[in-house]
Amino acid sequence: MAVPLSQMATVTKYVLTQKLNRVKRYPLVLMLEPLFRCNLACAGCGKIQYPDHVLDKRLTVEQCLAAAVECGAPIVSIPGGEPMIHPEMSTIVRGLVAQERYIYLCTNAILMERKLDEYQPSKFLTFSVHMDGLKDEHDLAVCRDGVYEVAVRAIKAALKRGHRVTTNTTLFDDANPERVRKFFDAMMDLGVEGMMISPGYSYQKAPDQQHFLKRERTRELFSRILGSPKKSWQFNQSPLFLDFLMGRREYECTPWGNPTYNVFGWQKPCYLLQEGYAKTFRELMDSTEWDHYGTGRNEKCADCMVHCGYEPSAVEDTFGTLSGFGRTVKLTMLPTSR
Amino acid sequence: MTDTKNHSPAGVTGSPEGRIFQPASFAELAEAVELAFDYRGDVTVSLKSGESLSGYLFNRQVKGSDSSLEVFPSDSSQVRHIRYDQIAAIAFTGEDTATGKSWETWIAKKDLERRAEVERVAADAQARGIL
Repeated sequence: MAVPLSQMATVTKYVLTQKLNRVKRYPLVLMLEPLFRCNLACAGCGKIQYPDHVLDKRLTVEQCLAAAVECGAPIVSIPGGEPMIHPEMSTIVRGLVAQERYIYLCTNAILMERKLDEYQPSKFLTFSVHMDGLKDEHDLAVCRDGVYEVAVRAIKAALKRGHRVTTNTTLFDDANPERVRKFFDAMMDLGVEGMMISPGYSYQKAPDQQHFLKRERTRELFSRILGSPKKSWQFNQSPLFLDFLMGRREYECTPWGNPTYNVFGWQKPCYLLQEGYAKTFRELMDSTEWDHYGTGRNEKCADCMVHCGYEPSAVEDTFGTLSGFGRTVKLTMLPTSR
Repeated sequence: MTDTKNHSPAGVTGSPEGRIFQPASFAELAEAVELAFDYRGDVTVSLKSGESLSGYLFNRQVKGSDSSLEVFPSDSSQVRHIRYDQIAAIAFTGEDTATGKSWETWIAKKDLERRAEVERVAADAQARGIL
């Protein structure tokens, strides 16, 4: 099982509590972006194009911890920018661990091995290492030679010290399914706890038919990658989300599932779109016109099948329908039955 | 995560970089503010008082006569709130940091150009002590 039982139990308890309290919209994962500065400049990345004075801004430790409390989500994902550039990142992580939240520290791993001493292994902390494929694909994706090998070294070092390590991978329609399957083998051979995958996000003005074809291509790609899964593969995400990527389940987006907090405030409406900022989490939830977002409702959402909007929908399916619950249990116990 | 919303290919003239808007109506002003809000560079907001403020416009609230915007000034950490009715002009004075940053543009570049860019990014990161 890729997700530890204690983490599953925490999420289950949290979701059931929301349901018992009849909370219609609740966050599952806080996307905490403490800075936008990165030590890579991956072509196509939409997170790092800002003037220098904005890239130099950092959320303080207090702002990060307060945001986690305000949001209340049981899981905190820390992307960026590159979070390990933040001089107080280990203090932020310690504070979040003290709050007993499950943290995914998303890193390109360039600074990871050097900074490992600052982090204590904990069931609450996972290093989620950005890996977009085998060496050739990854180094091309991050626009720098040698980064794959640096990341592999850092993963081995973290595992040796007893840290939880996962990988996160963004796949575009031009990915080669056979190479991706080999990449999964390589990551599991390294000993990571599990892998996370998602299609990339892009927005282009296009007729509806083209959007439909693009989503079809994404489903076909993931069907070819995830069909006949190997026993060794573990995924640190909802099995129903993987079903969705393969076209086996239909979901609507849950844009409030992964709310984003960064140096500008609470981002409306989601991790990918920037339509404005709220001062507080409550203001975000109350003032965002949620019905304006999602496939079929908004041109910018037409092609999107990204985890931050659809994984919460998959989790909702698990706890909201008998078929979702049954399928989740089956795929968790027998992942190769897909 | 690729986000083509904020990117335009190199050489495309869609970027408002270098342009100055002197709106004659609220509708024109609102349009200029939206353009500035989507812009990935600094703008200079000229106020009717004669003051001029340069920085990154990161938020706006459009509520009729109560409309306002928020700017991170390039020389201060304090957010400035500016009411729409105080604004005389908006100039796109900073570099558009998203222009030419799409994946397609990167792939279309010649190998030497790519190498030079990689070295420039690495040297910058090294100088900042983050590599």
